[in-house]
Amino acid sequence: MSTENRNIMVQIRSVYKFFGQLKALDNVTLDIYDGEKMVIIGPSGSGKSTLLRSINKLETIDAGQIIVDGLDISNPETDINKVREEIGMVFQSFNVFPHKTVLDNINLAQTVVRKRSKKEATEISRELLNKVGILDKANEYPGKLSGGQQQRVAIARALAMKPKLMLFDEPTSALDPEMIGEVLEVMIKLAKEGMTMIVVTHEMGFAREVSDRVLFMDYGAVIEEGTPEHFFKNPTEERTKLFMSQIL
Amino acid sequence: MAEVKKTEKIDKKKPVIAVGDGPAIPSKEDVGLFTAWRVSIIGALAIIAYLAISKPDPYLAILKFVPDGILVTFQVTIEAILLALLIGLFTGLGRISKNRIINGIASVYVEVIRGIPLLVQLFYIYFALGRVVNLPAMVSAVIAMSVCYGAYMGEIFRAGIESIPKGQMEAARSLGMSYPQAMIHVILPQAFKTILPPVGNEFVALLKDSSLVSILAVSDLLRRGREFASESFTYFETYTMVALVYLVITLFLSKLVSLMEERISVD
Repeated sequence: MSTENRNIMVQIRSVYKFFGQLKALDNVTLDIYDGEKMVIIGPSGSGKSTLLRSINKLETIDAGQIIVDGLDISNPETDINKVREEIGMVFQSFNVFPHKTVLDNINLAQTVVRKRSKKEATEISRELLNKVGILDKANEYPGKLSGGQQQRVAIARALAMKPKLMLFDEPTSALDPEMIGEVLEVMIKLAKEGMTMIVVTHEMGFAREVSDRVLFMDYGAVIEEGTPEHFFKNPTEERTKLFMSQIL
Repeated sequence: MAEVKKTEKIDKKKPVIAVGDGPAIPSKEDVGLFTAWRVSIIGALAIIAYLAISKPDPYLAILKFVPDGILVTFQVTIEAILLALLIGLFTGLGRISKNRIINGIASVYVEVIRGIPLLVQLFYIYFALGRVVNLPAMVSAVIAMSVCYGAYMGEIFRAGIESIPKGQMEAARSLGMSYPQAMIHVILPQAFKTILPPVGNEFVALLKDSSLVSILAVSDLLRRGREFASESFTYFETYTMVALVYLVITLFLSKLVSLMEERISVD
């Protein structure tokens, strides 16, 4: 896919982040284009989740600049809540709200943040539940749902805000193997609809099927980037080769 | 898949806050305690009935004299607990605040209050502050009790809020909710379940401690007893009755708390 003439959704400029002595992000510079699907891979502790979480400021960076949809989130003056409304996030541990029904999970931010009426919100929620294939669970509490179903609720909850960008932080890592497929299926559907997505995952099948670009990170730095094909066939860096041989 | 990331296990078990003080709240699993509760309440009621019938003078007279005091005891307890809950909520939020000043104020408040005996606090608010602002005894009593219990409540709220996995706050914030919105809609409703048992505990403990307000000329159960005793010189009989009435009330309330807990854990 050509990246010319496309708007940049996320600009990451010389970003550093430290956890004490540890350099979690080491001079990361990156552009993510409107409609792009990017997969970030890398070993544990390589900074990929930190990078993802910096994009909606769940982590605060120590130096550099991150601009999302034209808004500089590294500037403390920027209203981060406004930016987050436009960024959906899906977590490894689902983080559905256990005290609310599936429907209320998805309605909550719509009514509280987007100020939609309950009726309008419910309509949108039901439509999304149908899309992720669990409309029949609308009135259940999340505790009664399987991991895969909970994660699909979490995806629907994020989509209900009509975000411009979706972040996925290892969305299938906490799932039993038989449930990974149902979540990936939803993500693939979303990708094909043109959603801008940044996905931290080791599901290389997913990367191959939908991603435009794969990013390999290690020690907080971007080591290599390229198409999924490039990573499968001839990664250039030694570390990338080693990592690919481990996960495939 | 080579990389095994430490997966945050989603803990299905409810977090438990252990608070040592307060009466034993009976639970169904704890068969021994359950029996102890029964023995105590039936025993106390039987003794009260026996004494009142077999020796109406002075026991029945005492029983007729103290109900005003019971009402005052309840009034002090309920007003103080409501105020303490409010103080505790803000103290708990202050204790987890990243704002150093707010956090500092809340922490110092908790440290100071927990370091001063309740009786001294009562004296202080009534007599010492009484020189500056003249507060009625009842108001002083409620303020002192709630300021004291607010500090303990604050710790309960803090523990309750901290027991909610931090992913809940992150999920709420990532949807664009502000910190207060996330607290109100996501964190506090969940924390409520966790803090209810210790709050119930505190309620019963506060009711017992409310007997301290009798020194401030508040006519609670204990003070009514003292009034009766000093007129009739029946100290032994009066305080026996007062103790039994306190016991019945506390046992009854701790049962109520345990029933409430059970109902909440079913939902």
